[in-house]
Formats: sequence, structure tokens, C-alpha cells
Amino acid sequence: MTATPTLSVEIGALKLKNPFMAASGTCGYGVEIAHAVDLSTIGAIVTKGLYMAARDGCEVPRIAETPSGLLNAIGLQGVGIRAFVEKVLPELRTHDTAVIVNVCGESVEEYAEVSRIASEAEGVHALEVNISCPNVKTGGIAFGTDPKMTHEVVSAVRRASRLPVIPKLSPNVTDITVFARACEEAGADAISCVNTFLGLAIDIETRKPKLAFGTGGLSGPAIRPLAVRMTWQAARAVKIPIIGIGGIANASDALEFFIAGARAVQVGTMNFSRPNVYTEIEAGVREYMTRHGLESLDALTGSLKFPR
Amino acid sequence: MIARPEAKDRVCRVVARESLGGPYALLTFEHEEVSRAEAGQFAMIQPASDGELILRRPFSIMDTDPDAGRFTIFLKAIGPGSRAVFDLREGEQARVLGPLGHGFATPQRDERLFLVGGGYGVAPFALFSTALRASSAPFHLFYGGRSASELPLVAELEARGIPMTLSTDDGTRGEAGRVTAPLLAALDRAEPGRARICACGPEAMMHAVSKIAAERGIACEVSLDPWMGCGLGTCLGCVVKIQDPGEPKPKNRPACTDGPVFDATRVVWPHGDHR
Repeated sequence: MTATPTLSVEIGALKLKNPFMAASGTCGYGVEIAHAVDLSTIGAIVTKGLYMAARDGCEVPRIAETPSGLLNAIGLQGVGIRAFVEKVLPELRTHDTAVIVNVCGESVEEYAEVSRIASEAEGVHALEVNISCPNVKTGGIAFGTDPKMTHEVVSAVRRASRLPVIPKLSPNVTDITVFARACEEAGADAISCVNTFLGLAIDIETRKPKLAFGTGGLSGPAIRPLAVRMTWQAARAVKIPIIGIGGIANASDALEFFIAGARAVQVGTMNFSRPNVYTEIEAGVREYMTRHGLESLDALTGSLKFPR
Repeated sequence: MIARPEAKDRVCRVVARESLGGPYALLTFEHEEVSRAEAGQFAMIQPASDGELILRRPFSIMDTDPDAGRFTIFLKAIGPGSRAVFDLREGEQARVLGPLGHGFATPQRDERLFLVGGGYGVAPFALFSTALRASSAPFHLFYGGRSASELPLVAELEARGIPMTLSTDDGTRGEAGRVTAPLLAALDRAEPGRARICACGPEAMMHAVSKIAAERGIACEVSLDPWMGCGLGTCLGCVVKIQDPGEPKPKNRPACTDGPVFDATRVVWPHGDHR
């Protein structure tokens, strides 16, 4: 007989009751969905990206559904870090879930300042550094597609905060291991892997892009094999934990990421259509662990039997 | 005053389905919370079976039966998402999240209401007529479409005894021309007093109606219908430009949670080419 499997995980100093997080940009600031979702079933809420100032985002149309995927260009609409800390966080921290602030900036200094404010607030458990948003004209992906800039931003956030620092990598690079190593060298505690893939959907009648911004970021089950592959590559390149992200819709999807090397995972696009999917994922992962005699996820993480 | 039910995500059964010809149908679901929805609220719906489509689609509540815990939508199959719901058969399961959003303001006894429904946008006025009857507020519906085949809800609305004027762009049913023509005529005839126009339909129609209301100093509510991803205010896909008093400039606000029904004076038109 094996003991009841435990789902608690540690991502550096970040302790989570379960490894299933809600990805940035898919759950607002958590409080918006609390009337429809039991937040205590979620290991951590990763907030919508926050800059210093409030932002109004892109024009509409902002979303287009594609086969098993969602193309979006929202443009990081948000309230700004100070309004989040003052008006949203007091309510969010009453819920039984960890809070990870997704940090954005148009400059290295802004990343550091947002990080400092978030770190001084009560009830923030970690920082996810957004160096990978494809839908803003300045910052975002520019920091995540140049390893020197990645190193610089992550170093600055590292100096500005004592909280666990988790850069979120862009998949829009030739070799993700270069960026994973840059983050590790800059003092990151973990890596979120990956943000959306740059895409383009076209209305053939008007010959215009379907999104007002033009291009967008592709998410959903369509990108899952790509994200699993990148998680596997990143996990072999660095010692710090990887948080796998990309089209997770059920327990078996999550398990693929663990086997590929993830210590935890984030559910993104599925929050829009299946906001209560966490209970199903947790039940499915528990069932799998029991069936395979696993007491914790550590034994599963990175256990891929890859052909030599 | 009955407390408005919180949105609940349920897998529920299609208990009735009636084809209204072409791409139109009425579907009735069992869902306790949505069965207590107010006019103008909506539900996010997709078939329970897994498919290639991810996002649910928003559907306005056309009718409710709180005693039986049921609600009905009037839908037009337009794209793959609405088609998947259209194709649901009696006894099949769907994921239904609702009721969502803010509906039309509660009618006042001394208010005269002019309801303007364009195409499938007429749906919420069936449910609204029940509340209007209860409040004794006089009302009249202007129901317009491109042609007779785009007014499939006429029989349903007539059966409820809703006073209405029909119009079609091509003159195949009711008055020939835009729905705004009989609306203007009725406004000219109307007795003085407190009035409100409620509009739901194509953006161009709602924009035209809101201009008429502004010119005459009449209150006007519009139910906006941008592309929605989640219905929860988190995807921010369905934002509309809203100018609030005291704000220096308009802000992008999610129609799903701040609307879909807005005071027309707050709406900055147009919103782009969403449908």
C-alpha cells in the first residue's frame, strides 16, 4: 500500500498546496472569477500583467478562435501595480490560494519598480516576470528574445525583490535553452515555460488580419506538443524548477508536462471555457499517482523515457 | 425583491428544441440559476462533448421558467460555435455558465418603453415583456430584419400578445425599410411623459437608435454584442469603449461584466467591425 499521494510542491521558497496554477491573463486578478470558481482548488493565481500605470490595451477585435486554439492580442490591459495592491489584493489575499504577480515593464527600471512595490505588499507570494508578451509595441517580447536583455531584466527584478522570481519565457526563439540559462544565471528561482506563439489569422474577404493589432499570441491545445517539447528542453538545460504551460485541458495533459520535466503547471486558455477544470485535473492526477504508486510528484518530474 | 442569482457553471440537459426554419431554433435547458435570469442577461454555452472548439458562445436569455428551473434561448447559427449549439438535440448535454451580465433596467410604472429588436437581437424582449407586464409599464416592440425569413420569432412573440410593429428592409413582411422608421413615427405620436428606448441588434441599428434617443432627449439602453471569450471579465476580448462622466477619456470595459446592456449615452461608437 502506498500513502495518499501528496500534491504539494515547492518552487524554490514558494510552497504550493497543489501544482496547478491559473496562468496570467486568463483569470484576471482572481477576484473576478471567485463567484464562479472555488479559488481554493487552485495552487496559485498568476495575475494579469501589471505595469506601473493602468493600460487600456489593444483595439477590438482582440480574440479569434482557431483550430484547438485561441489567438489573442489584448495588449496587457490592466489597472497598474498600485491600484492592484490597494484595491484588489486585500480581497484576493482572503482566498486560500497563492498570489503570483505578473510583472511587466517598458524598461528595466519599470520592471524593478513594479517588482519592488509588489514585494512590499502583504499577500504576494512570488513574481512572474513577463518578458514574453507578443502584443505590446514596447517591452514584452523584446526582453524575452534577446538573452542579454533577459539577463538584465531578471537581474534587476532579482535585486528588487526577495520573493521567488519566475521569468516567463517566450517560445518565439530558436533555442529556448539559451534563455533558460540566462534566467538561471541572473538568479531566477524558476521558469514559466511558455507564453503564446506569435500567430496571424486572416479574414480572406477583407484581406485584413482577424485581430485589430495584426498579429497575436496563439494558445490552447494547438500549442501543447510545442510547449511540452520546450519544457523538456528547458528542464534539461537548467537546475531550477520549470513551470509548464501550454494548452493544458485535463489531467493527462498536465501529466505530460510533469514527465517532460515540469515541477508545476499553469492552466491558461481553458480557464475561459472550463473555469472549474482544476478539480477534474487534481482528481485525475491523484488517480494516476495512486495507480502508479507515486507518493509525490517529484518521482514523476523529468521521468521521460526518451529514445536514445 | 428577489436576489439576483450568482452565475453557476453546470452541465445540463437540452429538454426541448424547436426549429424555426433555416438557421434559427429555440433551445430549452434545465439550469436553476439561469431560470431566474433577468431580461438582457446571457449564458455562455457549448456542447458538453469535447470538440475542436474551445470557447463557449454567449446567448441571450429569451425566456425563463423559474418554477421548472428552465430557460430558453433563441439562436441563429452563424459560425461554428453557434452551429455546435444549434446542432444540440433534445436529451443531449451542454455546459452552461450563467446568468451573466447586467440586463435592462427594471421598468417603472410611469415609464413608456419602446423596444427595438433587430434580427436575432429581438430575443431578450420576449423575457422583458413579462417584467413590463408585471410593472404595468406600457410598451411596444419594433422588430426588424432584412427580409421576412429573418423574423422567425414573430409567431412566438404574437402568442405572448406583445404589441409590435414589423419591418423588413426588402418589404417582404411588415413595413418596408429600416426599423427606425416606424420607431420615429411612434415617437412622434407618443404622449408626452417619461420614455425609454431599449435596443438590441446589429451595431449600426443600435447606433442609429441611440442617435434618435439623444436628439429627442429620451433615455436609451443598448445591448452590445461584441465577440466574447469567457463571459467572466477575464479574457478582455469583448471590451467596448465606454465614456463615464468625470473620466477624461473613454475606457475599454468588458461588455460581459459591465454590460452587455449599457446606457447609450456612455457608449462611444463604433466599436470596430465585431458582430
